[in-house]
Amino acid sequence: MANQLAFYFDVARCTGCKACQVACQDKHDLPADMRWRRVAEYSGGEWARNQDGSFTQNVFAYYVSVACNHCDKPICQEVCPANAITKRDDGIVLIDEDKCIGCRYCEWACPYAAPQFDEDSGTMSKCTLCVDYIDAGQLPACVAACPSRALEVGELSELRAKYGDLAEVAPLPEAKLTEPAMVIKPNAKTKPVLAKAGRLANPEEV
Amino acid sequence: MDVREWALIAFTILSQMAVGSFIILGIVYFFAARKWGEEEADRLSDRALLAIGPVLVLGTLASLFHLGNPLNAYRAIANVGSSWLSREILANVLFIGVGAVFAFMQWRKISTSATRNIVALVAAAIGVVLVFSMSQIYMLRTAPAWDTIATPITFFTTTFLLGALAVGAAYVANYAYVQRKEPGCADTQCEIMRSTLRWLALASVVLVGVHLVVLPLYVAYLASSDVAAANDAVNVLMDDYGVVFALRLVLVFVGAGILGAFLYRNASSPGREKILGNLAYAAFAVVLVAEVMGRFLFYAMQTRIGL
Repeated sequence: MANQLAFYFDVARCTGCKACQVACQDKHDLPADMRWRRVAEYSGGEWARNQDGSFTQNVFAYYVSVACNHCDKPICQEVCPANAITKRDDGIVLIDEDKCIGCRYCEWACPYAAPQFDEDSGTMSKCTLCVDYIDAGQLPACVAACPSRALEVGELSELRAKYGDLAEVAPLPEAKLTEPAMVIKPNAKTKPVLAKAGRLANPEEV
Repeated sequence: MDVREWALIAFTILSQMAVGSFIILGIVYFFAARKWGEEEADRLSDRALLAIGPVLVLGTLASLFHLGNPLNAYRAIANVGSSWLSREILANVLFIGVGAVFAFMQWRKISTSATRNIVALVAAAIGVVLVFSMSQIYMLRTAPAWDTIATPITFFTTTFLLGALAVGAAYVANYAYVQRKEPGCADTQCEIMRSTLRWLALASVVLVGVHLVVLPLYVAYLASSDVAAANDAVNVLMDDYGVVFALRLVLVFVGAGILGAFLYRNASSPGREKILGNLAYAAFAVVLVAEVMGRFLFYAMQTRIGL
């Protein structure tokens, strides 16, 4: 059994199509306004007028697809008063709805906005890494749906050996906060974590 | 802001007021008993002590409205090992329990007063742990606007400010009761009330000073922070709720500062019990409104690092 399953995300390959997000909503039968996986758009840059009247620009935009990162230091589990959040041997972090009291403290704490409140049940919900598919040896819905193969799932140590250990880029939080099980491959325009060069362009979608 | 957030405002304000009242009542009792004897101190405090119970129960009931799944509420103390929320609820339950035991012993004069004092001290210590746990809940490493020393300082200031003024109002109500029911004791009780209100007024003037120093420093600190989420919180405070914030500062200054100063002056000379009573009620009411507004703003400033 794997020690820590993790997502890998390739910034260069993502076109921002949100097939991952929609596949996730479909698989878990989520309402339209609940997104366990979301695609953040980070953009910025400006135009400068040159002496000769021509323009130079450094405008950029890229996407970061994020779900729950099944962190090594899951702050949601740390703060949950009801002990409703557990981490399996393979690293998957799960919320037990039967134990959840719906206090939404994990929602305040998680810097990835992974735990989301389900108005119908009054309890929290989040990405399960499609634990039923994983246990059946299949890929999670988001990974399987990505048309440009920007997402992968695998053992964290293997993903790191293959792609490096970057786990923080703008607009994500610093990895030291929760030690997310995630590997990111940046593209040429990807800004470092805490950069002020751009802004989250679609806050209403994440 | 929806019902769930108002539930938190009600719960935190009411339980902090209860803890503050309990501790201040205890301190006053200690000095009053030394100077005027236990019987007069009991006559001053016992009814006020019993009034804390409903405040605490009301606050705790309000907290249930915060939960999406209140049927599981008993599970809230399941993670005392790492969750400050669990620690808070545990402390809250223990404070209610030990506080109720003490109130009952004090009411029926069970056991010796020394034993009762020990029970009261234990309850007071649990109350301090309760307010401290409450402040630690918000000191999340991912919530920079909350994760500052200003959170525990303001929580404790609110605790003792509301405690002092609630107890002051309770003494006034108690004196009116004593005048009607036990007129023979009214003179001594009047003297105790005046003397006590002077000290409570002084305490509230000092405590409002803490608020008025800490709050501007806190906002300036957030505004100068490198962390975007901290700046966002200042923007919410200034742009969305600037009027509420200004009103909150003015009201707490008027209630605890100005009315507190009048309270001090009028308590210093005898024969002004009527105006003294009205001042004590007004100061408590105005500060209660100001503190509710302050707590509302505290929750409105909830911003998070990351997405």
